[in-house]
Amino acid sequence: MYSTTHSHHLSLHEESILKNIKPEHKILLTFFIVISIAFSDVESLFQITSHILIVFSIVFISKIPLKTYLKRLTIDIPFILFALFLPFLSSENNDVIYTFAGIEIFRTGLMDMFAILFKATLGLTMGIVLTAVTTNIEIIYGLQKLKFPQIIIAIMSFTIRYIDVFIDEFKRVKISMRSRGYKEKGLKTLFPLAYASGAMLIRGYERGERVYLSMLSRGFNGSIELKERKYNNSIILIFLTLVSVIILILDKYL
Amino acid sequence: MSKYLKINNLSYTYPDGHKALNDINFSIDQGESICVLGPNGAGKTTLILHLNGILGNLTGEIEVDSLKYTPENIGEIRKTVGVVFQDPDDQLFMPTVLEDVMFGPKNFGYTNEESEKNAVQALKMVGMNDSQDRAPHHLSFGQKRKVAIATVLASKPKLLVLDEPASNLDPASRRDLIEILKNLDISIILVTHDLPMALEICKRSLILNEGTIKEDSLTKAILQNEKLMKENRLELPYGFAFHHLGEE
Repeated sequence: MYSTTHSHHLSLHEESILKNIKPEHKILLTFFIVISIAFSDVESLFQITSHILIVFSIVFISKIPLKTYLKRLTIDIPFILFALFLPFLSSENNDVIYTFAGIEIFRTGLMDMFAILFKATLGLTMGIVLTAVTTNIEIIYGLQKLKFPQIIIAIMSFTIRYIDVFIDEFKRVKISMRSRGYKEKGLKTLFPLAYASGAMLIRGYERGERVYLSMLSRGFNGSIELKERKYNNSIILIFLTLVSVIILILDKYL
Repeated sequence: MSKYLKINNLSYTYPDGHKALNDINFSIDQGESICVLGPNGAGKTTLILHLNGILGNLTGEIEVDSLKYTPENIGEIRKTVGVVFQDPDDQLFMPTVLEDVMFGPKNFGYTNEESEKNAVQALKMVGMNDSQDRAPHHLSFGQKRKVAIATVLASKPKLLVLDEPASNLDPASRRDLIEILKNLDISIILVTHDLPMALEICKRSLILNEGTIKEDSLTKAILQNEKLMKENRLELPYGFAFHHLGEE
């Protein structure tokens, strides 16, 4: 049997004050900040600058290395590409602000582009920070504390537990294919991989049944409870979240 | 004398029509350990699943610790009979080792504190107490096997059933496993192809082949009966000699 590869977690080793605080707080506060960003008005300079300041202060205290942050931010690229088309497409009452070589640039489109760039980038940044300072298990634990449905918790927990086993099995299948002369070359050679994936699906199903039997034999009655863990509170994260939400409310309603 | 585990006329046919067990009869005393030997596809794993009341729809009778296999008793039976499955990856599914070992006791009604105490004790018994907070998928195969045994021991079963516990283990891990099993003070049913291990742990063995019990006698007598061994597709490892155990 091949040894199991260790999973590549998103959480970082760097110690920070955000690391050992209650995961349920981290999830909830991230959610509030993201909601606050999503509802913020991009035409309000006050809101934009304060949210940028809040989000990047959190990035700073999370001690996430710049390189890692930028690498993970590549997930933002599809949003950026989409946003870049908007100035040429999105218009309201034909509000052209500039014409260059017959191509019109609309004001509404420009604002939409900016809104997407601002909200997607800051929102994703919060997600990157959350996953960098919280392990997979902690996120599950946090969701359990937030009273997420047991079934969702169980599915997430099984996914994290078995994804490595599944990847390892698929790697072994691929090694055995290669050892019999298989080479990935062109579309046609993808068929054996498709068959192998099908076989893996059946195996996954069978393993699921075996895991369930082993759970039954240990008295499984429908609930999976994780052990109590000890965490600190984070005044600074609660403070920044409150500021973020208050900024939104103040600017919107006063 | 009343027997601890009694199996009378047990038969089982899978939904696809495959008859896996046919008229199985045997019993064991409290504290007695037996081995179930037999070739692949003999029905050994099916027998194990029945001992834990998992498959249902059986014909015949099973009784353990004076508990009949009825739906009302199933919870108590699963607490009494602990099964260690063949692939530890099927058994270890919680995020950390300690949580996995606590899973059984919690389900069987122990409080959180008792469950943790039992779990730590079980992990100490298998020498894995230092790995409490590790993720099960980060352990080596031998370590996973030890933890899988601990997950069952933590519920304090009175009968421990192990399905091929020595498969895929390196010699040192196999030796660790044998020592762990020898030091347990409970009845054991050991299903294995590892005949020297069977000889070391169980005085008595059964041969199960094609769903029926072909032999029920002393392990040593079975291993010395070449004809019986061959008929049931069993073979001692090359170079194995009984004088290793003080025999001529």
